[in-house]
Amino acid sequence: MNVAEAAKRIEGTIITGAAADRNVLGGYASDLLSDVMANSREGDVWVTMQKHVNIVAVAQLNGLACIVLVNGRQPEPDTVKRAEEERIPLISTPLQAFEVAGILYSAGIRGRGAA
Amino acid sequence: MFAVDLHTHTCLSPCAELDMHPAGLVDAADSAGLDAVAVCDHNSAENVAAVQRAGRAAGLAVVPGMEITSEEEVHILGLFPDMESALEMQSRIYRSLPGRNNPDVFGMQVVADEHAQVLGFNEYLLSGATTLTVEKVVSSIHELHGLAVASHVDRERFGIIGQLGLIPSGLKLDGIEVSPRTALPAARAAYAPNGEYPILCNSDAHEPKDVGRALTYMFLEEPTAAEVLRALTGCGGRTILGGGRPMEDLALHVLDIARNSLDAGATRLEISLVEDPASDTFVIEIRDNGPGMDPLTLAQATDPFFTTRKMRRVGLGLSLLYQATRAAGGGLIIESTPGAGTHINATFQHSHIDRAPLGDIETTIRVLMAGQPNLELLFLHRIGEREYEIDTVEVRAALNGDAAGSAEELALLREAMRRGEAGLLQA
Repeated sequence: MNVAEAAKRIEGTIITGAAADRNVLGGYASDLLSDVMANSREGDVWVTMQKHVNIVAVAQLNGLACIVLVNGRQPEPDTVKRAEEERIPLISTPLQAFEVAGILYSAGIRGRGAA
Repeated sequence: MFAVDLHTHTCLSPCAELDMHPAGLVDAADSAGLDAVAVCDHNSAENVAAVQRAGRAAGLAVVPGMEITSEEEVHILGLFPDMESALEMQSRIYRSLPGRNNPDVFGMQVVADEHAQVLGFNEYLLSGATTLTVEKVVSSIHELHGLAVASHVDRERFGIIGQLGLIPSGLKLDGIEVSPRTALPAARAAYAPNGEYPILCNSDAHEPKDVGRALTYMFLEEPTAAEVLRALTGCGGRTILGGGRPMEDLALHVLDIARNSLDAGATRLEISLVEDPASDTFVIEIRDNGPGMDPLTLAQATDPFFTTRKMRRVGLGLSLLYQATRAAGGGLIIESTPGAGTHINATFQHSHIDRAPLGDIETTIRVLMAGQPNLELLFLHRIGEREYEIDTVEVRAALNGDAAGSAEELALLREAMRRGEAGLLQA
């Protein structure tokens, strides 16, 4: 499954989509960025409430497939700008984190344990 | 030289104890030997004025502050020069703080006066997050002439690095704080290896026994909110001398004992730390040229109930050092003759699980020099085969002798100690 297909399943709007054809290899959900840095893995779809510009740096650092903002949260303008520059797909969905994880899990996306 | 703890809570914070009412906090600060505290309740400054009134009677300076929770759940301390700015910040926060407190779940939010009388209960959800981004919190603090310090950066939850992975580039923090779990040398190495931020050691006390558990030493004209803010920005020679944990760090035990020497009239001190892995020993020696102790005083010196001082300052002096040596398989020897000075030898088993950490010896030396500019101090630190030595007479000579106690001298001393300590640790 690629990022664009994943976005569609979770009713997401793609905010920055330059790399929306990237493959999703797994998933990670957390709002603590230090935890995401330590435990997410390359190619993960990352499900979070956080919309601070630092989420792009974290996604870039770990080579994540995309960032999904839940509960209809809209990113800060800085975050959008950085995501465009770094070609990190940003998706906003009205669904809650629990729903998003459930839908993606049902579609075959798995968490992959600590890196 | 003043000892400050710039992060304390009162009973207004839902997670704090009720005995942290304004007078309770002031009493605790007083017995911890603090000259100033900042009151930083969660998202509110409603108890600050009462602590100021209680502090005035006790000679304790009280800096108006607030611990603000950003939208990302990052805690930022706002420290303000006066009550007006703090209250303006409070109204901005209240406009951006959704929810109402449920005291049964989160705890009571008690507004109290300086006589421990309950005036009412704050109904905002003070334990919640504001809708302000961390950037907005910092810029609001600055608009109101306050300073912004990232709280407990060594804690994952609510610490800026835990919440946001790294300190956002471009965020204009005036300082960072470490909690009592982290010693200053480790904090410098981890968070400000190139002096990026001033570092504060604060207690984050939620109950009286923790007030001053970690503290910061500042070089100020007088302990006031305005002067404390100047030290954070390094303005007009005011500066942060260091910090640590008075009940834990050996460096602060040494400071306490050395200050006793100076109070008793010593003008020359020799302090040496000798760490020898081969014999598994850590030996601290302090030698002064003070008036010495008579046999009776000497016999009582390690009794925790004995003090020649009227009021307890920081630490408990020799009795605490004695206990620390005994807990770590060592012992304490005091030699003293009236008129001939005192020599203290504290020996520890280096690898002993209960040996207290050294903490920041740079703080010790800088606080001593700032407190008594004409002090002759010879300091030696040896680890195995390596050692370095600092002679303040030589440091002063390099400054043409007329800079005793100046910010310039203190900065030079700091550089010399950093070079020395780094040399000891080099692989």
